[in-house]
Amino acid sequence: MSKGIVRHDFEPKIMGFVCKWCTYSGADLAGTSRMDYSPHVRMVRLPCSGRIDPQFVIKAFEQGADGVIISGCHPGDCHYNEGNYYARRRNLAFRNLMEFNGIDIKRLEFSWISAAEAIKFTQIIDKFTNQVRDLGPNEGYRALLDPYASRLVKSSEESAA
Amino acid sequence: MIEQIREKARELLESGELDVVIGYAEGSDPTRTTPIFCRKPEDTDKLVLDGRCVNTLPAYLNKRHEYPKKGWKKTGIIGKGCDIRAITQLIAENQLKRDEVYIFGAECEGVVAHPEKWDGSLHEGNCASKCSACDVKIPLDTDFYPGEKPEVDRSGPYMVSAPALATLVKMDDEDRFAFWRDDFDRCFKCYACREVCPHCSCNICITDRTMPSWVDQAAHTKGVFGWHLTRAMHLVGRCTGCGECTRACPVNIQVDLFNQKMKEVIQESFDYKSGYSMEVKPPLITYNTDDQETYIR
Repeated sequence: MSKGIVRHDFEPKIMGFVCKWCTYSGADLAGTSRMDYSPHVRMVRLPCSGRIDPQFVIKAFEQGADGVIISGCHPGDCHYNEGNYYARRRNLAFRNLMEFNGIDIKRLEFSWISAAEAIKFTQIIDKFTNQVRDLGPNEGYRALLDPYASRLVKSSEESAA
Repeated sequence: MIEQIREKARELLESGELDVVIGYAEGSDPTRTTPIFCRKPEDTDKLVLDGRCVNTLPAYLNKRHEYPKKGWKKTGIIGKGCDIRAITQLIAENQLKRDEVYIFGAECEGVVAHPEKWDGSLHEGNCASKCSACDVKIPLDTDFYPGEKPEVDRSGPYMVSAPALATLVKMDDEDRFAFWRDDFDRCFKCYACREVCPHCSCNICITDRTMPSWVDQAAHTKGVFGWHLTRAMHLVGRCTGCGECTRACPVNIQVDLFNQKMKEVIQESFDYKSGYSMEVKPPLITYNTDDQETYIR
């Protein structure tokens, strides 16, 4: 309990799409080394950052994520030699597209984290969580009209409240 | 001009060198032209070429359509400058071979923004905005060009032609989001923007796939956002700016603003202009080890 417990009004929901060889192993190292970091990130393990289709990010925002983090190996370290180079180009374009669509680009994070960088991993997760928490809920996207939402069966949590 | 093209098309159809010539003919009313597939030499008399010819015919050369699968060995196509740019891009993406097409080119004076605005002539009031920044009025690569083809300098950067883009990029994120939300509210997902596009190449579009359903098929705003983002992302570095998506939209959403913005970004970041070279690969299927990574932590 090195950090102590601080309660916040809003806890963000963050999706992480990470490369299996570097960032996921880095997270693994952070876990086995018993480092503290924010528990808000839901990680999805993928073979390579080149496998991360921007469609995943769009879907994550649609499903109510407040922030999305994409992470992979450093340039030159890709297990498949060149996947992260493609990812770098694609995400440059995608970030500009999201920005043009009016989504705050601070909600989207891209980083290189190697399997040995457990400390960098915890720092980036903490920093990004705080950043998204300051931005607040992704109201714009959440408020987009889904006329069928009201007809869905409510979860037990919602119907109790 | 069109007489020479008719004559040449007739000659090539008679000799059997071409199986079909795709061009424009008079449409259902005097303001419109319609695409025509000339299979017989006498059909070529119907060909017209003027400011009403808005359609981007290379969409028919795309393999997602049935036409390239009909067994036609060589297709003739009449193209404006921007159409020929689309053909060039299809060749650069290996969707088409250069010797499969025979390109009839002609100098283009611009086209009308929408057939509704046609009043007998082309003037500043009804000309499409894409024509204002056009550098391919003399087309790039042609097999047949009536008269002498002058050399044109096309080394300049990509010029944004939509006036709305400048005001949109100055807005802050929330206003821009509100702008798109109000516009996309009208979209009922007819997919006209996809159907007219010469570069949407997937045999089964990702929105038509339901297992898993990546793009919400219902036409509520959330699904519409997903669709337009997906569409724009799939056209990054490939769109040649024919502007057909905006013209075809029945509810007047300026769909090509996304494409124009991305063309600007691609130009700045990778110094690439789509549709000008058959050899240079589109930017997202290649890489440099020293690409820009200022956004990466």
